Amino acid sequence: MKSLRANIWKIAILLTALFILLIAYGAYSLTTYGSRWFSTSANTYLRSAKQNVIPGDVQDVNGVTLLTANVAEDENGETTWSRVWPADQTLRQSVVHVLGDSQNNVSNGVEAFMANYLYGFEATFPERLGSFLSGQTRRGDSLTLTIDSALCRQITEWIAQDEALPDDVRGAVVVMNWQTGAVLAEMSFPSFDPLSSRSYRNDAGQPYFNRAIQGKYAPGSTFKIVTAAGILASPELRSQSFTCSGILRMDASGAHDITDAGTRLAEGQVVSHGQLDLQTAFRVSCNNAFAYAAWQLGDEQLKKTAQAFGFDDNFLFRDIVLENSAYPGADRSDWEIAMTGIGQSGLLLTPMHLCLIASAIANNGVMMEPRLLERAETAAGAERLHFTSAVYRTPLTDPDTIHSLRSYMYDVVNTAGGTGRAASLIGWRVCGKTGSAEIDGQENTNAWFTGFIDSEKAPYSVAILLEDVGGGGTYAAPLAQKIFKYLTAQVK
Amino acid sequence: MAIGVRKQTSDASGDARLSYARPLLRGVMLFFLLAFLLLWLKSYDERALMLAVIVPVIIYIGVQGIPRLFPADRLLLSLTNFLCALGVLVLYRLSPERGLQQAVNFGVGVAAMLICTVAVRYIRGWKGIVLLLVPASIGLLALPLLYGTEVYGAKNWVTIAGFGFQPSELVKLSLIVILSWLLSRRKVALSILVTGVCLGLLMLQKDLGTALLYYGVALLAIWAATDSGLLLALGCVGAGGAGVLGYRMFAHVKRRVAVWLNPWSDRQGSGYQIVQGLIAIANGGLFGTGLGLGNPGVIPASYNDYIFAVICHEFGVLFGIVVLLFFLALIMRGISIARQSDSVFHSLLALCCTALIGLQTFVIVGGNIKLIPLTGVTLPFISYGGTSLVSSMCLIGFLQGVAARNTAQLAEAEKRARFEEERP
Repeated sequence: MKSLRANIWKIAILLTALFILLIAYGAYSLTTYGSRWFSTSANTYLRSAKQNVIPGDVQDVNGVTLLTANVAEDENGETTWSRVWPADQTLRQSVVHVLGDSQNNVSNGVEAFMANYLYGFEATFPERLGSFLSGQTRRGDSLTLTIDSALCRQITEWIAQDEALPDDVRGAVVVMNWQTGAVLAEMSFPSFDPLSSRSYRNDAGQPYFNRAIQGKYAPGSTFKIVTAAGILASPELRSQSFTCSGILRMDASGAHDITDAGTRLAEGQVVSHGQLDLQTAFRVSCNNAFAYAAWQLGDEQLKKTAQAFGFDDNFLFRDIVLENSAYPGADRSDWEIAMTGIGQSGLLLTPMHLCLIASAIANNGVMMEPRLLERAETAAGAERLHFTSAVYRTPLTDPDTIHSLRSYMYDVVNTAGGTGRAASLIGWRVCGKTGSAEIDGQENTNAWFTGFIDSEKAPYSVAILLEDVGGGGTYAAPLAQKIFKYLTAQVK
Repeated sequence: MAIGVRKQTSDASGDARLSYARPLLRGVMLFFLLAFLLLWLKSYDERALMLAVIVPVIIYIGVQGIPRLFPADRLLLSLTNFLCALGVLVLYRLSPERGLQQAVNFGVGVAAMLICTVAVRYIRGWKGIVLLLVPASIGLLALPLLYGTEVYGAKNWVTIAGFGFQPSELVKLSLIVILSWLLSRRKVALSILVTGVCLGLLMLQKDLGTALLYYGVALLAIWAATDSGLLLALGCVGAGGAGVLGYRMFAHVKRRVAVWLNPWSDRQGSGYQIVQGLIAIANGGLFGTGLGLGNPGVIPASYNDYIFAVICHEFGVLFGIVVLLFFLALIMRGISIARQSDSVFHSLLALCCTALIGLQTFVIVGGNIKLIPLTGVTLPFISYGGTSLVSSMCLIGFLQGVAARNTAQLAEAEKRARFEEERP
């Protein structure tokens, strides 16, 4: 009887613990994911609630109106509204992925993910009461985004005018302020016109898909930034020199040779960089050296470095729903590990994540949370929310490593033999890294460029992806130069 | 014989308790009055107006009147009445027909509760009853396999003469009585055998949620009675092994786990219910959309398995937490009743009732908020369904009976102590 009473107590404790677990888990998951559950297109409550609120306007950082609502009265005297887009079709196409369309073809655009502001769910009780008493239809908050729509429009035109690129080129461009994390451009190609979105439904290029934040790609040589960070953290490896013979033989059979195929060579021809140190290997983007160094570093260490830069993390940013980036799983062959060092073999990231990585190098190793929302304002004009920048994580702390990486990236753009020369800009310290990722079943490589202006006067970073076109230095770097030129012209 | 008189916490003697019980009762009555008035304003359906009067009155009579006629624990009564009335309210909001039906179920439940209270209070010879209950339970559980109809993948419903019910809900009660009696007579092996047969029959009906509850309650009861860490460890290992085996062997178990891990990957298909439940909770936020202003109907089984998500949706997450705390208070009351009893059988009976209510609430609320895979059990007192409500009320009846017995024992002990004192 005595032990029974004692055991009953223990069961009471168990049951209480279970209930505390329920409450704690519920509170945790709701605060972590609640806004994402709310803004999903599957939320029918949100869809019906939208009918009863006039949505707020959306403007860009320079005050250009991107979305507004046309309010009318139907024959029953009920207030109705419709979304009004800018008259300029190029502008519409340039911002549709950021904004999202009212048919929810684009996932997690501002229209959907910030519905809590636009459709008045953030309104306080007195505000709701006020509009109830006045009998007027409620109005949602107006938003000012960090987006520079004029820049976005320019980028669309540059890509359209670029003779070297196919008309239906697929790709993504992300432009950020590396100091604050403010996103100036988040674009995906091909794009579509939200006013006739249905006609794009069967397009092969999947125009609704937002490649900048949803598309996961092999980073190719741009991943050498991360590999280099790993090597620089190792005292033994950072000062060694490599011998590049053009072919790195990973096993005796020769089935797993790693070649320097940045430029396509005729059968049997071999490009060799000879003897070179890490800095030179980075500048010329030598696959042999980086594959070898990655293998020396080992999977564990490389993974740790990649995870410090946000790989395998569950991105939970306040303004942006970013797909997670993946570092490949464990138990891999030497060849696979070596290939990871040059950004192939199962590595996947989004263009925006690459832009975050470059931004962290620029910002002394501190990665800022990417943000889209500059300001939210109530219909009465009161400020609901103002932009605050926040640190997302700090992948690098050693000043030597940061300095080295920055000077490596400077060399890529500014020194003879660098692969990113096309991005250089007179009068500015442009740093960057090119990439040409080989994709199975694709004729050409994916062209990558990521980089930044090393100046607090113009703290901008970019990530550019152009699918199936060729080398990053040839196709992506020139676009980066145009973007940097446009941005610096506004500074002076 | 000197019997230590333990401090009595039941209300029979405590007038101090009434000082906060009365405002609580008034608050609860006001809550339901206003809630049904709100629903009336929305539809101008006079049935809502009727309930706005009837529900508070029933609560008042239930809490104030029943203790005068029957030996009853007032705190337990208040808690169950609130939860049941909340069920009627939410169900009426979802569908007036269901709400009214649930109000009738509630009435039947109260009657069943009183019968159970009296039975546990006064029956002394349980042996014959248990001998009858064992074959009856197994027969009842076998019924759906022979004549059952399939609902949501589980074949656990039986319809006799146009009257449908779930035998597993009723067997829950008899199993508790059987287990408590066998364990109080130290017949551990026999109790394990009976539980095993019941579990096997439930597995055949694919009613995994209920099987899980039976298992959990039986395991806790056997451990509490025998104090055998070995049996507890074996039980836990067995459950884990069965889980792994089930996952490996049955495709539908695998699918259910996959849906639980990531319902969003198929949010229009297999993950639809979980996703809509989570969205409904997120829509509610801290304070809810307001009664009658949400759209809880989009969640499949909103009136039954997902009623907790509906409550969070319209009343808010804070209110959802309050409901959980009400359940927790009920459990604590049950635990204290179990500890006060001086008979092993009654103590175990009260413990089983409490553990069952606690585990069942955990399993379904945990499923709603995606803490554990979803299994189709009801939220006690609140979910729609006559069998479920009646069986939950019977559990309360058992608890009431044990509490009444405790009070009587205590009074007797006091009387005896006084008698000893008065003797020269």
